[in-house]
Amino acid sequence: MIVEGAYRFEGPRQAVWDLLQDPDLLARALPGAQRLTRTGEDRYEGVMRAAIGPVTAGEFSVTVTLHDKVPPERFAMTLEGSGSLGFTRGGARVELREVQGGGTSMTYRAELRVGGRLAGLGQRLLDSVAKSMTRQGLDALRRELQARLAGGERQPDRSP
Amino acid sequence: MKPAPFEYRRPGSVEEALDQLAAYGADAKPLAGGQSLVPAMNFRLAQPAVLIDLNGVPELAYLRADGGDGLRIGAMTRQRAVERSALAAQAAPLVHEAMPYIAHPQIRNRGTVGGSIAHADPAAELPAVMLALGARFEVRNRSDARWIPAEQFFTGLFATVLEPGDLLAEIAVPAQPPRSGCAFEEVARRHGDYALVGVAAVVVLDGHRRCRDARVVLLSVGDGPVLAASIAQQLAGEELTPDAIRDAAEAAATRDIDPPSDIHASAPYRRHLAAVLMRRALTRAADPARTAATRVPT
Repeated sequence: MIVEGAYRFEGPRQAVWDLLQDPDLLARALPGAQRLTRTGEDRYEGVMRAAIGPVTAGEFSVTVTLHDKVPPERFAMTLEGSGSLGFTRGGARVELREVQGGGTSMTYRAELRVGGRLAGLGQRLLDSVAKSMTRQGLDALRRELQARLAGGERQPDRSP
Repeated sequence: MKPAPFEYRRPGSVEEALDQLAAYGADAKPLAGGQSLVPAMNFRLAQPAVLIDLNGVPELAYLRADGGDGLRIGAMTRQRAVERSALAAQAAPLVHEAMPYIAHPQIRNRGTVGGSIAHADPAAELPAVMLALGARFEVRNRSDARWIPAEQFFTGLFATVLEPGDLLAEIAVPAQPPRSGCAFEEVARRHGDYALVGVAAVVVLDGHRRCRDARVVLLSVGDGPVLAASIAQQLAGEELTPDAIRDAAEAAATRDIDPPSDIHASAPYRRHLAAVLMRRALTRAADPARTAATRVPT
């Protein structure tokens, strides 16, 4: 499964970068994330609980490793998740570009393999679920960013 | 496979069901026809602690003409009962036409109208049909009852405004406006499979046979039923010529949907199919609307 897209943040690139490197914040923003802990240099472990419609029992342990970091431009990550309902493995690339007018454009592309009962029974829904979780997560990140910028932290150098 | 252990309650009346739903809250799941919930439980994808079986509540199963020529459907009415109902065929032809597309007869014998709507599967026919018709849903809980329009009821993937303790009790399908027509189209790999794309269309003409309103709702192309807003914008005030219909369908397929890819169909194929099915549905819906327009004076 491929999940890709672009998202526009109203804020400077460095602020968006900082957001994406903060595990506590990501744990709040990612739908279903119960916790995310830094367990090493660029390595995070956590627990996610996915509840979609009648499916209530999906708890996954997740490991995320960041690599190829070029702050504040791009990074890649390796994802591994497993739970009683199945597993997922894959990687993602994230790129941040400054856009005219003061915003930041993020492009992302993830390639995920999903297996187990989750894939067998939920195949027709995987794409929709991934899209919907991505959208929720990005909207939550945008709100966090706005809260941070409004909260008196460093303001963008170039005001729009 | 077998489900995880659960408690079972079988209320004999709506009041009793509402009391039990209130008592168990988020631990409870109402059981209607069980055609989605029970398989999910057997695979242990769903593990509700308490099942409240509504099959012992006869007062929730009925089809009734309402005063204004609309149709009232009790939430526990079997899909098969609607399919075989002369009243439904006459008062709610779009609902009636969509029925045979829902899975297989065995499933429709048990599956209920309310169950399908409350489950809100993005591939389900009834949520799309109800949204196209502008139906309203009566939601009851122990303390009150409220009517929710279909536009506000579906909130996402398998998600509705229903809260723990709530019960979908009745569906009110409005009367067909004068000079209107409707059509349902769907393509699935095999009959009875989940739809690759489905379309429910309602067309209303004015006294000059121009389009007053065109409500087209798609299924299997998003998180829930998706209203193709471009269609009404583009066709309002227009004569429904084949060219106008085709252009509107193409515009809606490009602008209004973001269909998923899966092993059965890619997103671009679903988009193509959506345009074709919208065109067919609008063409068919416009036909009886025109005939009706010649009969109904302005």
